[in-house]
Amino acid sequence: MVRREAEEAAGPGRENRRSIAVGALVGAAVMAASDEIVFHQVLGWHHFYDRSTPAVGLLSDGLLHSAELLGLVTGFFLFADLLRRDALSAGHAWAGFLLGAGGFQLFDGVVDHKLLRVHQIRYGVDVTPYDWGWNAFGAVVLLTGCALAVRARRRSVRDDEA
Amino acid sequence: MTPAHGLPGPVAAVLWTIVPAAALLFVAGYRMAAARLRRRGDAWPRWRDASFCAGGIALAWAALGTLPGGPFTRHMALHLLTGMAAPLLLVLARPLTLVLRSLPPGRGRRGVLALGHSRPVAVLVFPPVAALLDAGGLWLLYRTPLFAAAQHRPLLHAVVQIHLMAGGLLFAFAVCRLDPVRHRGGGIAVRGGALLAAGTAHAVLAKSLYAAAPPGTAFAPADLRAGARLMYYSGDLAELALALVLAVEWYAVTGRAWARARRRLTRPDPDPV
Repeated sequence: MVRREAEEAAGPGRENRRSIAVGALVGAAVMAASDEIVFHQVLGWHHFYDRSTPAVGLLSDGLLHSAELLGLVTGFFLFADLLRRDALSAGHAWAGFLLGAGGFQLFDGVVDHKLLRVHQIRYGVDVTPYDWGWNAFGAVVLLTGCALAVRARRRSVRDDEA
Repeated sequence: MTPAHGLPGPVAAVLWTIVPAAALLFVAGYRMAAARLRRRGDAWPRWRDASFCAGGIALAWAALGTLPGGPFTRHMALHLLTGMAAPLLLVLARPLTLVLRSLPPGRGRRGVLALGHSRPVAVLVFPPVAALLDAGGLWLLYRTPLFAAAQHRPLLHAVVQIHLMAGGLLFAFAVCRLDPVRHRGGGIAVRGGALLAAGTAHAVLAKSLYAAAPPGTAFAPADLRAGARLMYYSGDLAELALALVLAVEWYAVTGRAWARARRRLTRPDPDPV
């Protein structure tokens, strides 16, 4: 730990991998929180409790909910730590943010809604178009994140060579 | 807050006088000890006094309000006050540190220190154990006939309340780890993991209460759902608060280590070879 701190203190190096990981953590947590706020509380589309949820779905829902709060706090403080040491690579962090957000959206749409059947996007209507819209949006965000990651990587390699 | 539920005399008297009186006595003691420290020149932030006062008053108020019976939502609100809000406020005020600083050197202080460093205390404050005792107690209360039984037996009800408070205190104490006791195997990952597990257990229990009342009770569905939602979202607040305590501590510790490492590197080598 101390040696790593010393290495980091040696020069103001950008920590690309850490930047991308912190961005992904914040992105996933923000997406999970906004899902809860927008769809549960503002639109009221999701149910607080869906009677058809199996026990494992209820458990995974609780774990995700608890992890989302911790993820927000952890991500924020790790981000602040990168800033304080001037080690943040903004390009990597943005790429990570979109990767985390899109990845969570897809995970939620496929695993939570369809495999574990924790809850559905909307009740009393044909849910198929909603599922497609949900997952397509997640995929677009995820792919944008991939593109940004590639661009950030190219830029940092070019900067290192220069 | 009126004794409308017809409690038998002695137990009601205990709940109504001794618990709040003890809480307020502790608050008064804390204030006096903190004032003495400040007079002798110690730095003891005022917000700690405020935190302890708020926690003590919340406990006293909740003890006055917790009578068996009544709507589920009210029971839940008081449970959240007793089991989560008050313990966190008390723990943030670092009461054990204050006791150790206030006691004169001698047998009393050595005794408190020995207790803090004893093996049973180390086991209890191991975060997973504390989380199990706290969240496990909650599951026992709400998912077994214990809750219904406590509605009819005032003494059992008092024991349940005290367990709620003790469990909350222990968990907050173990996760925040602000006071000097013997800690073993409880790094930030273990404490964060225990917080994650306890938060999960709390959220799942709240959702299960939304669907099914504690066995043997017959609350109105709307009341039950409001209580379950209150439990779910208040649990979030408590988890957030504990996570912030952990994160702020991590940020400060890593910041100091980083500053030290940087000083070492920028200082000219005192002994060139």
